[in-house]
Amino acid sequence: MEPVTSKTITVTVNGASYEREVDARRLLVHFIRDELDLTGTHIGCDTGNCGACTVIVDGLAVKSCMLLAVQADGASVETVESLAAGGELHPLQRSFSAHHALQCGYCTPGMLMSAKHLLDNNSEPTENEIRRAIQGNICRCTGYVNIVEAIDAAARGEVPA
Amino acid sequence: MLLSEVGYARPASVDEAVRLLAENDGARPLAGGQTIVNVMKARAASPDVLVDLADLEDLRAIAKTGDGALELGAMATYSQVVTSPDVKDVRPMLAEVAAQIADVQVRNRGTVGGNICSNDPTNHLPPVMVAAGATMTIAGRDGEREVSAEEFFLGVYMTAVGPGELLTKVTLPARDGAGDGFAAITIGADGTCIVNAAATVSGGEARVALGCVSATPVLLTAAAEDEAVREAVGAAAIEPPSDVHGSADYRRHLAAVVAARAVADAKEGS
Amino acid sequence: MTTVAPDQVEAPQKGFAGTSIPRKEDKRLVQGEGVFFDDVKRHGMGYVHFVRSPYAHAGIVSIDVSAAEAVEGVYGTLIGEEVAAQTDPFFEMSTPPGNEIRDYALAVGKVRFAGEPVAAVVAETRELARDAAELVEVEYEPLEPVLDAVAAVEPGAPILHEEAGSNVVWSGTFEWGDFDEALAEADHVVKIDRLYFHRFSSTPLECAGALVEYDRGTAQWTLHCNHQMPGIGIVWMAPALRVGTDKLRIVTQDIGGGFGNKITLHPYFVALCLLARKLNRPVQWTEWRTDQHTANTHGNERTFLDVEVPVRSDGTMLGFKVKAFDDAGAFPRYEPLGCIIWAQVTPGCYRWRHVRVDFTQACTNKSPTAPNRGYSRMQQLWFTERVIDVVAHELGLDPVEVRKRNYIKAEEMPYETPNGCVYDSGDYARCLDIALDLVGYDSLEERRKEAESRGKLLGLGIGSTLDSGTNNFGQSQLLNPELQFSGNNEVATVRLDIFGEIVVTLGTTPQGQSHETVTSQVVADILGVTPDDVHVRAGHDSYWNSHAGFSGTYASQFAVTGLEAVKGATLELHSQIRRLAAVILGADGPDDIVLEEGMAKRRDMPEAALPFMACGAIINVNNAGLPPDLDDVTLNCRYVYRPPFQVPDHERKFGNLTLTYATQIHACVVEVDRETGVYEIVDYAAVDDCGTRIHPQIVEGQVHGATAHALGAATFETFPYDEDGMLLTSNFYDYHVPHALDMPPLKTGFIESPSPFSSLGTKGMGEGGGAGIHAVCAALQDALRPLGNPIVTESHNPYHRVWELIQDPAASRAGVEVSGT
Repeated sequence: MEPVTSKTITVTVNGASYEREVDARRLLVHFIRDELDLTGTHIGCDTGNCGACTVIVDGLAVKSCMLLAVQADGASVETVESLAAGGELHPLQRSFSAHHALQCGYCTPGMLMSAKHLLDNNSEPTENEIRRAIQGNICRCTGYVNIVEAIDAAARGEVPA
Repeated sequence: MLLSEVGYARPASVDEAVRLLAENDGARPLAGGQTIVNVMKARAASPDVLVDLADLEDLRAIAKTGDGALELGAMATYSQVVTSPDVKDVRPMLAEVAAQIADVQVRNRGTVGGNICSNDPTNHLPPVMVAAGATMTIAGRDGEREVSAEEFFLGVYMTAVGPGELLTKVTLPARDGAGDGFAAITIGADGTCIVNAAATVSGGEARVALGCVSATPVLLTAAAEDEAVREAVGAAAIEPPSDVHGSADYRRHLAAVVAARAVADAKEGS
Repeated sequence: MTTVAPDQVEAPQKGFAGTSIPRKEDKRLVQGEGVFFDDVKRHGMGYVHFVRSPYAHAGIVSIDVSAAEAVEGVYGTLIGEEVAAQTDPFFEMSTPPGNEIRDYALAVGKVRFAGEPVAAVVAETRELARDAAELVEVEYEPLEPVLDAVAAVEPGAPILHEEAGSNVVWSGTFEWGDFDEALAEADHVVKIDRLYFHRFSSTPLECAGALVEYDRGTAQWTLHCNHQMPGIGIVWMAPALRVGTDKLRIVTQDIGGGFGNKITLHPYFVALCLLARKLNRPVQWTEWRTDQHTANTHGNERTFLDVEVPVRSDGTMLGFKVKAFDDAGAFPRYEPLGCIIWAQVTPGCYRWRHVRVDFTQACTNKSPTAPNRGYSRMQQLWFTERVIDVVAHELGLDPVEVRKRNYIKAEEMPYETPNGCVYDSGDYARCLDIALDLVGYDSLEERRKEAESRGKLLGLGIGSTLDSGTNNFGQSQLLNPELQFSGNNEVATVRLDIFGEIVVTLGTTPQGQSHETVTSQVVADILGVTPDDVHVRAGHDSYWNSHAGFSGTYASQFAVTGLEAVKGATLELHSQIRRLAAVILGADGPDDIVLEEGMAKRRDMPEAALPFMACGAIINVNNAGLPPDLDDVTLNCRYVYRPPFQVPDHERKFGNLTLTYATQIHACVVEVDRETGVYEIVDYAAVDDCGTRIHPQIVEGQVHGATAHALGAATFETFPYDEDGMLLTSNFYDYHVPHALDMPPLKTGFIESPSPFSSLGTKGMGEGGGAGIHAVCAALQDALRPLGNPIVTESHNPYHRVWELIQDPAASRAGVEVSGT
């Protein structure tokens, strides 16, 4: 085995398999946005702080700007586009809307994926656990008040149809 | 934001990884990537080759040994440390500290080995390892060698791991009734450390490692009493940096405070 | 025939205004289907990377792009020389010497701040553009930078703009009332040497950028971008590009936050326009976070010197005098307007009558400033609030009582300030009482003792602020009488389509302010339909012809300017539908028709009804035989709202500068660790009054967000520079913005004092006014009282600053003096 500057990878994204050749230096977030045209995942910073790029890789919430696309070879990736299955909004999406947990919507995809990761692993989070779960997702619009309420309501199953 | 061209390899064994690191000038290991990818985005450093350790399952193991020591594989993630029953059993403070590092997304990827080997002065684990008297296992072409934590950290971003070598494991000795403590002043809640300190207290004696105030953790020993610890910090020749988060004087002052708090924390646990 | 539409219409149903309906914007945004400019792609587009100055101040000796251009996949480059040849400098608003400044899309001849764009490289991929940019060779001749506004106007300071010959952008004196009389009347004069409001910004999560296409056949540019004030943006860009304004089409859909930091994007956008034309392909530029921090814009930094406050023994404040120095950074772009905009709130919430302000704005070798959330008023309001707090502190008076004694009272509204601004409505004392109640003011002393038992110092601080909205741009003439700007406007179109669909377009550029939703509520109530029946087009497009010179989303005005435009257009449509229906249904006249449930019905015979679909069809495709007096019934109504402003009096610098004034009064309880200076906000209340709330949940969301911004600025966020002019906080590690764990428990309350000056009673409230900063300063000062009474004189109080106040309270007090007269 020798190092290569580009390689063909196979990634499953939102249940669909993609085989693409990528430069080793390409970030996963650019692969998702530019190569696969899934522009729901956003970029808000250049040092991995803001979390707008959060996706779920092999069941774990991660920042897709802090992974190379080649690292996702063989992995399963879920982006915000996977949440509304068959045209039905996910309870978290409905809860975010009901609680006005988004204003400009830019942080929202990453925020939803972090929230999903939380609820997939903890069905009764405390307020502190909710805040910890989204600590890596910056929002400049909402002050997080309604986001925390929305996640809490979704956890308790109190979401309008 | 955009990396320079780089070569990439994902070996299937530690031996293969070591070979790739040894044979390629300017090759660096890619563990969780939570530090190195940032560095490469900023082009502050641009390794020619990244050796991805993701497939080295052996390096992910966390295990309690027969004599009560704790072995952490270098590729164990912070999240794994947080939830590991063995960590909770042997060295619970380690899980508490790991839970404070960055955020969930970073903890799902960032590794024990990465935190230790990047040796950013503001990192959490180097002082913890020094205070606990940990031992690092390094693999190279000639086999494995062990380095004590006290001798492992050499300078800012520099450790005893040389070119062509790979940290494989960190071992914390059995606690034997000792207490561990940690305290930090951070930028925002659970943020980057401005000053931190880890302490291990045993038999009325404290081993305190100060972070953020020097190129490498500063190890002090003192009686495990508030005044003695503060005096020891005062007497230590530390030259902390001055920056937007605090002056050298402020950091010097905080170092004494967090050292005392870490020791108090450790005493509670012992 | 013209129709005069009535001011009010009968509302046959329970109104949607006043209720928190689900947001229209959400469906696409929660699915990641919003369209932000970086989501837009064009075949063959080139990616732009800017080469930026590493120096804060330097001459440009030479630029060599040949190595970059030789790289395969690089489409081309642009340098300052080309820009200077192909464009004219952006127009400057100041008087001499400021008006001599020459500002171009790229640095021409010299660089004036670290990060200033010097050249642009366009390539096939983002990475390639970045790589090739490294091959551009620029030779600089470093010059000494000047990094402080006060120092910048001293003789001998390095000059940024040689053609101006001075670093002064604008300076002038404002004097209202009689300050000497106030001094004579006073029992005490409180003097404060220096108060300082720091540099920071709201750092919207989405960075700036655009995808620009050029159509050679029509010489037309289209910019898919996130410019939040396109009306003025085009006014800057078109003359610079030497084209008519119609040649620039700005298209925005979703914008990821703006907060004023996406107003002065014209330099970057002009560079992109030149590149698109030169290279004959679409070009795309996405700003990086580091770029946004170093080379986009910051909020105004202001130093207040030699403050004098004549005051009576009972705490009645008679006036104030101050020398203000405003730091505009390297290029005044929206400046010097900041030199007058503060005067919208000259006395803050207080009944000061005698004011003297010497105001100087200067250039420094730092990032240019822009109207960051609260623009210029926040700085003035912080100043007034700090003064009130310090005076109360020094005279040993109760900070609550002193505020109430000096607050303008509800019964005095509308209230004319010393410089002729009219505060429309409000009840500050009542808001304060609610805030204090929410934080348990009555049990404060108990809590203080309890905190002390844990080794913490507890303090309470009040932050009173106003959010003045709907500018009168005539205030610019008070800075420069030659400027041809005055008044304000906003545009909306509302039409009934062929199939009876109600379609609305706005001139605004929302970045999260929910315009689609709130608009639909207002339209639905007037036309007797539901918000779901009202389709509001997302975003802004110059081609829709529903914008005017001041169109955009900025300066807390949508609830007035936007909604009045919507209301005006809808009332016109309402009238037209009734006129048509009256003829078709054989009624006596339009007054005999009511609109209900999507139909026009005869009052006397409700079963005689014309569905909206029929109206639309008749006018659009089935219009033969209609009487001539229906010629002007198009069911396509465009309305330009113009607020009732006069040009202010140049001589006295007097007149109404803003139409509405929302209130926010905050109360903050902190606990300080005396050992480290680390503090925690343990209780917090924000009470707002923005008049009539069309959508309460949205209003509250704005209050939450403004509070988070203010608390971030108070404790964490600052843009300091080192002595070489390098920004020290260029990323989110060092420029820490609050995350979910940083936010305190936040309680909110509200009252509604409708504005008498907007027909819906609404007031703009999106900016907020920075009350959190004022409240934290006051809370810290209160908490630290037992430790030698330090005075808080700066807006930014990170833990190390608090520690310094604890270590050396005398140093902070040295500049504060109380004299009896």
